[in-house]
Amino acid sequence: MKWPPAEPHSVEWTGEAYLSGPISSDQAGGFLLSVVDFINSCSGDQIRLAPDKFIQVCKRLKDQVMQLQVPLQGVALRTAIRKLQTSSEQLTTIHSDFLLLCILAKSYKTGLSILEDDILEVDQPRDLFLYYYYGGIIYIGLKRFRTALECLHNVVTAPMTTLNAIAVEAYKKYILVSLILNGQVPSFPKYTSSTAQRNLKNHTQPYIDLSACYASGKYSDLEAFIQSNVEKFQSDNNLGLVKQVLSSLYKRNIQRLTQTYLTLSLQDIANAVQLKTPKEAEMHVLRMIQDGEIFATINQKDGMVSFHEDPEQYKTCEMAEHIDSTIQRLMALSKKLRSIDEQISCDPAYVSKIGRERPKFDFDDFDSVPHRFI
Amino acid sequence: MASSSSSGLTFKLHPLVILNISDHHTRVKAQNQHLSSASASSAAANGGDAATAAAALPPLPRVFGCVIGVQRGRTVEIFNSFELLYDPHSHTLDRCFLEKKQELYKKVFPNYYILGWYSTGTDAQESDMQIHRALMDINESPVYVVLNPSINHSQKDLPVTIYESELHVIDGIPQLIFVRANYTIETVEAERISVDHVAHLKPSDGGSAATQLAAHLTSIHSAIKMLNSRIKIVHQHLLAMQRGEIPCDNSLLRQVSSLLRRLPAMESEKFQDEFLTEFNDTLLMTYLAMLTNCSSTMSELVDKFNVTYDRHSRRGGRTAFI
Repeated sequence: MKWPPAEPHSVEWTGEAYLSGPISSDQAGGFLLSVVDFINSCSGDQIRLAPDKFIQVCKRLKDQVMQLQVPLQGVALRTAIRKLQTSSEQLTTIHSDFLLLCILAKSYKTGLSILEDDILEVDQPRDLFLYYYYGGIIYIGLKRFRTALECLHNVVTAPMTTLNAIAVEAYKKYILVSLILNGQVPSFPKYTSSTAQRNLKNHTQPYIDLSACYASGKYSDLEAFIQSNVEKFQSDNNLGLVKQVLSSLYKRNIQRLTQTYLTLSLQDIANAVQLKTPKEAEMHVLRMIQDGEIFATINQKDGMVSFHEDPEQYKTCEMAEHIDSTIQRLMALSKKLRSIDEQISCDPAYVSKIGRERPKFDFDDFDSVPHRFI
Repeated sequence: MASSSSSGLTFKLHPLVILNISDHHTRVKAQNQHLSSASASSAAANGGDAATAAAALPPLPRVFGCVIGVQRGRTVEIFNSFELLYDPHSHTLDRCFLEKKQELYKKVFPNYYILGWYSTGTDAQESDMQIHRALMDINESPVYVVLNPSINHSQKDLPVTIYESELHVIDGIPQLIFVRANYTIETVEAERISVDHVAHLKPSDGGSAATQLAAHLTSIHSAIKMLNSRIKIVHQHLLAMQRGEIPCDNSLLRQVSSLLRRLPAMESEKFQDEFLTEFNDTLLMTYLAMLTNCSSTMSELVDKFNVTYDRHSRRGGRTAFI
């Protein structure tokens, strides 16, 4: 399928050529190549003037790629995203498709360049949910649990008027990842929508029970609980994650020991954490030291482990630069927040709601803390 | 009139004297301006040209006074000063007033003797010799301190000159002329604090923390700038000496090397550690302040958002139920 030079009439040409019905499988290879070529060479400004057709083209590409089971060819979507975005902070529909293809291809690193950008503008809420859900999965695959938690947190706390399945699934993974990372599930922050707060817990009961069992700290109990519910976890495709939760229980218990003891023998550690041999305890402690989760030294001769404080003295130039760059980022963020705050203060919906509440006040009901109403 | 003194006396001037003279001058100027303000303002209203307005103002008044201090051997240390009455017609200082004041000051500071006198102006004038001679019966070699009250921003040094009187033979006639003498500024700890305080006087409404911080930082900045420019001067001088453009001055070189030998105190590892710790602490505090700021903005934003968009938002005790 030949196509005329891309620059002058990218938009009209896409309209005619690609939306014209199903493509047979022998033509499909050529189709993919030409679409990828087109995406790589089209001009971003023209695309931004007529985004819908371009998005449809990309969706066809994604469907074809998934049908042919060659998701890796969908990497061209990354260039497509960059061309469609007006700024690197905007979320488009193509984002979630691209991440989906990355997950299917199991090449998580390709998705990272897109994921690292902060998102500050969103058109469609569905895009946001899918994007962060897939983002969370990618980070879990890369074992970067902290960032995964942030992504899933965004899904769970995003504004929603009715419950959607993406949020439910995300909440299940959210519970598991926060157990692995922090050992506990945090309560909903106040910016979670009330729909989420009321309904999410009802749909994820086995996970809530899992976290309750985890809190008790006993390895054997947790193991038994997981065994009994293994089908439920399996059906949600979360069994791998649940197994990681189980192994993280050891880490949690060892960390708890650092708060009580200064030195401990490997045998005692093994007993306290319900490990079978001191060798296993040593292995666990060693891995935790390497990951930077605890600070300790193992004395091989008498099998004693001494726990230390965080040796960071904040005396280095690198620390100064690090803090400085964080402060700069925070200042930029603060500016953005203030501008959004001003926007919402002038929003007519907000002002009308505030105005409506005023006449209902009775002076006796005021508490002594002053409130701000605008 | 102003060649270099050869008496070999070292003069030490305390900042209190300088402040006193400047204060005296400012007060007299302010009182005079108040009296002649009518004429000055009418002149300024016509045209607003700075030159004509300045010309319409009365010339800066000269003030006179006495300096007291201690003379030990070859060192003359001027500690304090007081004002004197000046008779413009006879060009003399009021003698009995001076003696009364001297008695009073003797009671408080028994060690201080009258060392000389001061005046404001740009240079020593002929008429000043009369006053100088009159003082010579109290102190056989009085000093004459002159303060130049005109503000010159480009001039970096103090506008204070000290003159001595010397007998020179000019055209066969022995005459007493003024010769410039070198002096150093000597401060006691208390004086340093008060001078610092006076130098940093802020306007009355500058009480907020932000303006104080800005003033503090500006003063540090200007001090560092001055240090930087002076180091550059010394450096260029040394380079020129190395190239041979200026004759080698060994005493200067000795001073520079003694200054440089003080520097290694800063290169030690302990200094680096402490410096970086303190620097990082300050950064962390700024970070914390920014975080708190951001969190509070965020919290307000979230509240407003909830009020606007969430139909069933929890009232949470912020509003009252009927």
